[in-house]
Amino acid sequence: MDTVIDEKSAKKIEAVLEKFLDESGATYALLTDLGGNLLFKSGEEDIDGDTLAVLSAANYAATKEIATLINKENFSLLFHRGDNENIHFAKIAQDVLMIILFKPYLSLGLLRLKISDIQEELSDLLGP
Amino acid sequence: MAIVNLKEKTIQVKIVYCGPGRSGKTTNLEYIYNWLLKTQGQTTSKLTSINTKGDRTLFFDFFPINLGKIAGFELKIQLYTTPGQVKYESTRRLVLKGVDGVVFVADSLLSRQEANIESFQNLIDDLEYHQINLDDVILTFQWNKRDLDENMIPLTSVEDMEAQLNSTLKAQSFPSSAITGMNVLKTVRHLSKKTMEAVIEKTVSKL
Ligand SMILES: Nc1nc2c(ncn2[C@@H]2O[C@H](COP(=O)(O)OP(=O)(O)OP(=O)(O)O)[C@@H](O)[C@H]2O)c(=O)[nH]1
Ligand SMILES: [Mg+2]
Repeated sequence: MDTVIDEKSAKKIEAVLEKFLDESGATYALLTDLGGNLLFKSGEEDIDGDTLAVLSAANYAATKEIATLINKENFSLLFHRGDNENIHFAKIAQDVLMIILFKPYLSLGLLRLKISDIQEELSDLLGP
Repeated sequence: MAIVNLKEKTIQVKIVYCGPGRSGKTTNLEYIYNWLLKTQGQTTSKLTSINTKGDRTLFFDFFPINLGKIAGFELKIQLYTTPGQVKYESTRRLVLKGVDGVVFVADSLLSRQEANIESFQNLIDDLEYHQINLDDVILTFQWNKRDLDENMIPLTSVEDMEAQLNSTLKAQSFPSSAITGMNVLKTVRHLSKKTMEAVIEKTVSKL
């Protein structure tokens, strides 16, 4: 099914993401569907969001296949640590993945709390 | 599974190049990418390729194209290839999620007839995995490597390829050479246009 995002929801989602970056201290947040279509991005400008969305969706899908292969429930947590930037992937709705870039001095635990705070709101706005 | 954003006024569709191993899917994307670089000086994104050391596609190649505006909407196309090799079933399947248009790149080499047919059946199965019917996607065939004709290499005739793969579907098809570029741009232009029209018909025109 094609996804149509109306103007009102789009504005609300953008506001939620901006507030999230403000409050969590994260650098960048992006929403993609599981097919790799960039839906929304917020924060640092010089990142190629289209490519990040595609690679994140692919990474998520591949990890999920691995989980099935070894008969584990889907890993709920995907996380990569870098020298300057950490990246965290969270499935926030049926078909939507959130990608968050944040500095290593921020705590992942706190970040995940912030994500779960906005998860329901985003999930509602993004529709079924 | 197109994405229409009414605030940003964008429509985004996904086109995937499928077909057996070594049929020329990656070469198609490279040709389009280089052509865009040459004619426009730059592209919005790099060509991303997840491949093996020997340049075989392991997961996909990807880059997005902006097609400009229609009726106030910015049109974006996401171009992907799949890995053709049979052993990469698991990753190939994932790439097809949410596909709107398919270019099936068939290999004209006589020795690849079976491989084309098997790969096309795989495509149908992979779509089914995502609950997509072949009728739900816009399909275009490419009979690729026609340039080899001049080198006296035995090829399947275009008529035979039509009969083997396209006799009931009657989809649009192009004889092509991804190496020389023959009909490479024509294929992507045709399919982009058809796919966009179908998406607009299903979404924006209903608002
Ligand atoms: N002569 C000729 N060679 C071609 C043509 N298209 C591709 N090739 C060659 O065929 C080989 C395989 O091409 P690729 O584009 O990598 O094939 P692919 O379909 O992406 O293969 P996989 O990634 O394994 O699925 C390369 O050596 C290409 O140069 C063509 O139109 N004519
Ligand atoms: Mg390839």
